[in-house]
Amino acid sequence: MGALRFLLRRLAFSAALILGVSFILFALINAIGNPIQILLSETPGVSEEMIATLSRYYGLDGNFIDRYGAWLWSIVHFDFGTSIIYNQPVGELLEVYGLETLKLQLPAILLSTLIATAAGVIAAMRQHGWADFSIVSSAMLGHSLPGFLVGIVLILIFSYWLGVLPSYGAYSTRNLMMGSMVIDGLWHMVLPVAMLTVFNTATLTLLMRSSLVDVLRQDYITAAWASGLPARRVVLHHALRNAFIPQLTYLGTLFGLMLGTAPVTETVFTWPGLGALYITAIHQLDYPVIMGVTMVITVMLVVATLLTDIAYVVIDPRIRLG
Amino acid sequence: MTALLEVRGLRKHYRAVRRGLRRLFARQQTGTVRAVDDVSFVLQAGQTLGLVGESGCGKTTTARSILDLVRADAGEVRLDGQDVRPVLAGTDRAAMLAVRRRMQYVFQDPYLSLNPRWTINEALREPLRVHAPQHQRDWGDRIATLLERVGLEPRNGVRYPHEFSGGQRQRVGIARALAVEPDVVLLDEPVSSLDISVRSQILNLLAALQDQLSVAYLYISHDLSSVRFISTHVAVMYLGRIVEIGAVDEIFARPRHHYTAALISAIPVPSPGAVDQRVHLRGEVPSAMNRPAGCPFHPRCAAALPICREQVPVLQPMGPNTQAACHNPA
Ligand SMILES: Nc1ncnc2c1ncn2[C@@H]1O[C@H](COP(=O)(O)OP(=O)(O)OP(=O)(O)O)[C@@H](O)[C@H]1O
Ligand code: SF4
Ligand SMILES: [Mg+2]
Repeated sequence: MGALRFLLRRLAFSAALILGVSFILFALINAIGNPIQILLSETPGVSEEMIATLSRYYGLDGNFIDRYGAWLWSIVHFDFGTSIIYNQPVGELLEVYGLETLKLQLPAILLSTLIATAAGVIAAMRQHGWADFSIVSSAMLGHSLPGFLVGIVLILIFSYWLGVLPSYGAYSTRNLMMGSMVIDGLWHMVLPVAMLTVFNTATLTLLMRSSLVDVLRQDYITAAWASGLPARRVVLHHALRNAFIPQLTYLGTLFGLMLGTAPVTETVFTWPGLGALYITAIHQLDYPVIMGVTMVITVMLVVATLLTDIAYVVIDPRIRLG
Repeated sequence: MTALLEVRGLRKHYRAVRRGLRRLFARQQTGTVRAVDDVSFVLQAGQTLGLVGESGCGKTTTARSILDLVRADAGEVRLDGQDVRPVLAGTDRAAMLAVRRRMQYVFQDPYLSLNPRWTINEALREPLRVHAPQHQRDWGDRIATLLERVGLEPRNGVRYPHEFSGGQRQRVGIARALAVEPDVVLLDEPVSSLDISVRSQILNLLAALQDQLSVAYLYISHDLSSVRFISTHVAVMYLGRIVEIGAVDEIFARPRHHYTAALISAIPVPSPGAVDQRVHLRGEVPSAMNRPAGCPFHPRCAAALPICREQVPVLQPMGPNTQAACHNPA
C-alpha cells in the first residue's frame, strides 16, 4: 500500500472523526435548551418577545438539522459565531487566547522533552546507581503531585517569598519589567511554563528511562559494544532512536491534550489563555465559545494523532502502511 | 608455541538477590549462580573449538566474558599470550580497539541482533566506522565484497532486516563479524534458531569462510552433530565447568565422562533399524544455583561411585589429546 493512499485514508478517517464530534457536541449543547432563555428568563423587564428576537439573532430558532447544517457550514468557514458574553467574534477570541495558550504549552513541551531525554539517558546508563535513583524518585514525585500544587508552591517560593517572578497574568499592567514588552512577557511565562514542564517531564522521564533500559538490553546493542563503538555513539545513535518510539505516542497526546492541562495552569496563574476562556464560558453558558473551543480541542487531538501515525511510519521501517 | 587464544580460570558468578518487597515473600532469599566456574581452554589459529552443553550451562556467559561484554569475576583471556581482559576494561581506546578487531561475536538470534531500524549497509558500516575510519571511501566496496562473501546480493544492502529470512539475517550477522578481518570469531549457537533446512547451508558457509580466511572459531552449540561437522576440538560444559575437552575424533570415538557419553548417544541415528544404545539421562537437570556437591553430574550418573558425591573431579589426561574430569571414566 502506497504512502499516498495511507495518508488519504488517515485524512478521511480524521475528517469523519471531527464530523462525528461536531454532531455530538451540537446535540449536547442543544439538549441544554435555549441559552438565551436560560440566561435572561430571570432578568426583570425581559419580555418573551425580546427572547424570541435574540434567539433568532443567535440562530437558535428553526429545526435541529437545519441549525446543525448552518453551524457546520459556518465553522468550516472559520465563522464560530459571536460570543454572548464578550460580544466579539469567537474566531477572534480563539486566536488571541489560543496564542497565549501556545506561549505556555509549546515551550513546556519542548523543555520537558529535552530534560526528560537527558534525564532518561543518564538514569538508564547508570541503572541502579545514585543518579538513577534520584532521577527516578523525583520523577515519581512529580508524577504523583497534583499540577496545581506545583503551581502554588512555585508562586509561594518565587513570587511571595523571593518576590522575583510575577504570579499572575501575561503582562504587567503598570511598570513593564526592565521597560521592555518582550522581557516582561517572558518574565510572566516563567512560572506557568515551569509548572507545565514539571508535569510533563515526570512522565516523559519515566517512559524514556524504561524504554532505553529495555533497548540497551537488546542483542543489537551488545553487537554495537562488541564492535568497540564509543558509549556516546551506542547510546545516542543505536539506542536512543529506538527508545524514542514509545515516547512519540505520549508526545502526540501532550500536543493533543494541551487544552487538558491548560485550564488548571491558566486558572492558577490567571493566564488569559484558551483554558481560562473555556472555564469562564462554561460558567456563563457562552455556548458559541464553548463550541468553538471544543472544536479546536478536537481538531488538535485528531491532528496530533495523525502526525504521530505519520512519524511512526517515518521512524520505523517495519510498520506496514495500512 | 603461544596459542592464539588461551582462556585460563575464567569465572563469572551471578548473585541472585531479590529486591524490595519480593524479598519478603520469596522462599529462597539469595543464591549464587555459578554461570562460569574456572573455565580454561586453548584455541589455536585456524582451528575450531566446539563448546557444547545443555541450556543454561554457561556457554553464552563464557563467550561474552571473553569479549568483556559481561565483566568476568576472575580469569585471564590471552590473545597471542597477552592478557586482554584489562585492555578491554581499560581506558586505552586504541589498545582496546586493536583487541576488539581481532575477536568478533556472532549472535544466536539473528532477529534480535540486528537493529530493526537500520539497513544492512548501515549495520555493516558501524564496525568499519570504528576500525577503518580513514578509509571511508572504501566502505561501500568492502561492504559489497562482504555481502557477496556470505552469499547475499550487494544490492540488497539497502534493505532492512525484516525483509530477510532468518538464514539471510544470520549471513548478515556473520558478515558483520568478518567486516574487521578478525582472527577469532565466537559463534554463539549461530544456527540453533534457524530452520533445519537452512542450518547446513550456514554451517557450510562457516566452514568455507574458515578455509578462505583461516579464522579460528569458538563454536557454541548444544547440537553435537553440528559440532562434529565443524570442529577440530570439543569442550563439554556442565553447570559452569568444562568436564571433558580434546580432539573431536578422539572424544566422539571414546567419550570418557559419562555426561559426554550420554550427549553423544543422544545424537539421532539416521540409519533405520539401528540398535538403540542411547544412554538416557536420568533425573532432573539441576539448576546452576544449587549445584550438587562433588561431581555435579552424580545425581544423573549411572556409574557414580561414593567418592563422586564428595570430591569434585578435576580434568586429567585421558588419551593423547583429551582430558576429562571423572572419578570413574568410561
Ligand atoms: N544477567 C544474568 N543475571 C543472572 N543470572 C544470569 C545472567 N545471565 C545468565 N545467567 C544465568 O547463568 C547461567 C548460564 O547462562 P548462559 O546464558 O551462559 O547459558 P547458556 O549455556 O548460553 O544457555 P543457552 O543454551 O540457553 O543459551 C544460567 O543459569 C543463567 O540463568
Ligand atoms: S565423576 Fe562420578 S558421577 Fe561424575 S561422571 Fe564420573 S563417574 Fe559419574
Ligand atoms: Mg546461550
